[in-house]
Amino acid sequence: MKPGRKRFTAADGRAAIQIALVGNPNSGKTTLFNGLTGSNQYVGNWPGVTVEKKGGKVAIGDIDAEVTDLPGIYSLSTISLEEEITVDYIAARRMNLIVNIVDASNLERNLFLTFQLLDAGIPLIVALNCMDIVEKRMDVLDVAKLEQRLGVPVVPITASKQSGLGELIRRIGAYAWDRTAERVRYSPPIEALIASFEAVAGDRLTAVRCLEDGAKAIAKTNLSEAQKARLAALYDEARMASPIDFDMVIPNDRYERILAIVGDAMKKADVTKLSATDRIDRVLTHRLFGIPLFLLIMFAVFWLAFGPLGTWVTDGFVWAVDLVFGLVSGGVSALGMAPWVTSLLNSAVFGGLAAVLGFLPQLAILFLFLSILEDTGYMARAAFIMDRALRRFGLSGKSFIPMLLGFGCSVPAMAATRTLDKAEDRKITTMIIPFVSCGAKAPIYGVIAGALFAASAYYVVFSMYLLGILVALLSAVLFKKTVLRSASANYLMELPEYRTPTLKNTFLHTWDRVKGFVVKAGTVLLGAFIVIWFLSYFGTVDGTFRLLAQEEIEHSLLGAIGKAILPLFRPIGFTDWRATVAILTGFVAKESVVGTLGILYGVAGDALVNGSLLYPAIRAAFTPLQAYAFMAFALLSAPCIAALAAMKRELGAWKWFMFILAYEMAVAYLVALAIYQLGSLGSGAIFTALFLAGAVSIVFSTIRGAIRRKGSCASCYGCSSAGACDEERRKR
Amino acid sequence: MTLQDIKPGQECVITEIRCDNLRKRIIDMGLTTGTYVAVKKLAPLGDPMEIIVRGYLLTLRKTEARHIEVTRKESRA
Repeated sequence: MKPGRKRFTAADGRAAIQIALVGNPNSGKTTLFNGLTGSNQYVGNWPGVTVEKKGGKVAIGDIDAEVTDLPGIYSLSTISLEEEITVDYIAARRMNLIVNIVDASNLERNLFLTFQLLDAGIPLIVALNCMDIVEKRMDVLDVAKLEQRLGVPVVPITASKQSGLGELIRRIGAYAWDRTAERVRYSPPIEALIASFEAVAGDRLTAVRCLEDGAKAIAKTNLSEAQKARLAALYDEARMASPIDFDMVIPNDRYERILAIVGDAMKKADVTKLSATDRIDRVLTHRLFGIPLFLLIMFAVFWLAFGPLGTWVTDGFVWAVDLVFGLVSGGVSALGMAPWVTSLLNSAVFGGLAAVLGFLPQLAILFLFLSILEDTGYMARAAFIMDRALRRFGLSGKSFIPMLLGFGCSVPAMAATRTLDKAEDRKITTMIIPFVSCGAKAPIYGVIAGALFAASAYYVVFSMYLLGILVALLSAVLFKKTVLRSASANYLMELPEYRTPTLKNTFLHTWDRVKGFVVKAGTVLLGAFIVIWFLSYFGTVDGTFRLLAQEEIEHSLLGAIGKAILPLFRPIGFTDWRATVAILTGFVAKESVVGTLGILYGVAGDALVNGSLLYPAIRAAFTPLQAYAFMAFALLSAPCIAALAAMKRELGAWKWFMFILAYEMAVAYLVALAIYQLGSLGSGAIFTALFLAGAVSIVFSTIRGAIRRKGSCASCYGCSSAGACDEERRKR
Repeated sequence: MTLQDIKPGQECVITEIRCDNLRKRIIDMGLTTGTYVAVKKLAPLGDPMEIIVRGYLLTLRKTEARHIEVTRKESRA
């Protein structure tokens, strides 16, 4: 069988082939992809999952090649959803040719995957990347020897400098499609095992997969139940006969073969001098300076995005957007259409788009710097540094970056959860991000704390941020213990060599993310804005249902809803329907909470720009306690529509989306309720409550400790993997 | 002796992987029996640990390192 042959007989004389880029994470796959396809790329979503694959086209002689960039994998044995996409793609043999990118500076481990891929018998070319690093290290790599030993074409390239790509394309065009790729031969006993598996499974790849992964791989095959049972029996038989742990047999043999090839083809330089990576890491992951430097870097990124630079760019951008939309809406008004059409276009469509686009510059800056941090390899260090601190909350170090982004804006933060290994871990992180107080919530605290808490305003605002973090972390623990028990929060991570990011890749990386945001603003958000517009600009005044002026929001449907649900909010200290309406408009964008309060209290001028205008009205409407409960509710309740859309995208299923929406509302309500009710009782009651809570938690943890001691094996007290103890015991 | 007991700057050879969590991935990343491992450093908070294996940098938690049996070797450098 030659998978490549069929597609080669295109009717129009030009042949079309599918090429898949497969390689380890961080081996330079995407850089090669961008280099090969230039600007002819598109981003597509995989059905059902949120991880993106990229496709692009490249012409090779008279062949039209469609190149697919697949998520990076270390091995065909997967541990994450993202990796499964790649493995399923390979197992389905959707490509005519695999271009396997191998990091030459890390040959041994990269060849492990190459060996696994060779078992598939799909035509394969090895693109040997990072030749520049090899040269810098003064190692000598004999490419011809490697090619001969592997039995497939090996092309040395340096993807970041675009060198060797021409040769790679030439070798793809000249690929000897008739020839079956030379397969890896393992030691005779293993080959005998593979042969016995192949007799049942049908092909070598499936046979090797089943031998390596056992039950998990057997279940995934599309064989009959009888065949599966036969494979399982064969597997158990082989496992019993093995003198060492059976799952070590093939990897051991593979690595031995790899070592022999690498030893043959590569001469390592005698002098081991300190690499640049070592020198940088001496400082950046230093025992004492590591954490302060990390905080400094993060602070710098935020300062650039949300500080003077970001504000300056945003102001300019918003000015331009307002100018353009102002002209457009002026034109729309001049057309003399029905008033509601004018209002729809101006307030809902253009007004809504302007509000969302206002985020764009800061997001772009944030994305740009994060892309740089990611491309250089620092993000991996950040996860390394923070892992210990996050573990006690059931999170892994990799969750830190998304959470940190949440202080800026939830939308990019949720997109960043894709770097996490397991779907469950991604879910937990996505679900707690809204609790982290985003930049748009800051004006709410600013105005309310400024009006009511005067001198201690800073502490009050700070307490809001702390409350957000606390609820986020406690929620993470809760999710892990209840609905998402299968979340592993595992940590096993390669620290890549530091690299200088290239301009082209950094911009492509940033652009990819910005584009996603803009597309969403034009689709999902637009629909939501139209709904909110309808609710806030239509209502019944003096018995007639009509379009309202902005000042008449009290009579709008939204106002009516606000009044109708007010009784629900009385227990948490809301006494004014205006507060409810302000919270409701906050779902469009959290900034509009302050803006709406301004409109409702009839304050002239923009309350967002000059919050102090609102102070007298707020002092009249809220007691400090009510205001504090209001802020807590605004902080913890469901995020804005943009964040909700991002959350739906990352969570996938509606079931989860509805769950977290209900959860957030419930938490916001309960926290605000506790604050208001306990606060109303006076300080004595608060201390009583604190004492009770402390006593209960001590009793609870004592009981839990006792249960845990009873249930675990002696050797691994407090181990993170619950099933491991039983596994251990069974073995003994 | 397990990998957890190896101090930064010391080297060892893996004798057995007893770890169940992440087991297959640990093996695939190159931590097979007989492999040389050098412990490079610990994270600022004392965990995870950074090791050099097969010429690249890998970081793993002590929870996993505790289940990797090793024998200490004199540093080759």
